Amino acid sequence: MDRDKWLDATGLSCPMPVVKSKKAMDEMAAGQVLEIHATDKGALKDIPAWAKSARHVLLKQTEENGVYKFWVQKG
Amino acid sequence: MSKRVAIIAANGTLFDAYKVFNIATAAAASEAEVGIFFTFEGLNLIHKEAHKQLPLPPGKEAMKEMLAQANIPSIPQLLDMAKELGVRLTACQMSMDIMNIKEQDLIDGIDVAGAAAFLDFAYDADVTLTF
Repeated sequence: MDRDKWLDATGLSCPMPVVKSKKAMDEMAAGQVLEIHATDKGALKDIPAWAKSARHVLLKQTEENGVYKFWVQKG
Repeated sequence: MSKRVAIIAANGTLFDAYKVFNIATAAAASEAEVGIFFTFEGLNLIHKEAHKQLPLPPGKEAMKEMLAQANIPSIPQLLDMAKELGVRLTACQMSMDIMNIKEQDLIDGIDVAGAAAFLDFAYDADVTLTF
């Protein structure tokens, strides 16, 4: 899937994946897609919850070798 | 209307700091309006010197190693992030008087107020937490 920006949040624990995602999103325009990678198990629920609270759209979510990947479109 | 989170920080160990700032930054990063009211030992968390070397709870000193190894931000870093995300930090005037803490002993970027001011903020909060 295409993305406009990639955020590597692997190795970071709560609340960092969400905090960094917000910062990255702030610099993007509505409609652009942020791809987030995280290894924190909490992120599995945190990223979708954050996207919902911040009115972004979670387009896709996968897991590969312990890395959770999310594609979030800025609302 | 964005959500509002009101937090009372009434204790001053390293664990308390993480509990308060983790949830405050997570909420602020999720677009909530967040305000923290620091009272009694909670004032440690925004004290210029104390916040850099908060004690572990009695009996938990051995966890110091584990915390250092875990990939988590330090309290000063979390505080900066909180401020950057717009979290409001308010020190309790009365606690400051009792514990003989002056405004200049506290970090920059904080307000000083009383219970009424905090309640005014908390009445309209969606979530109110005490640590």
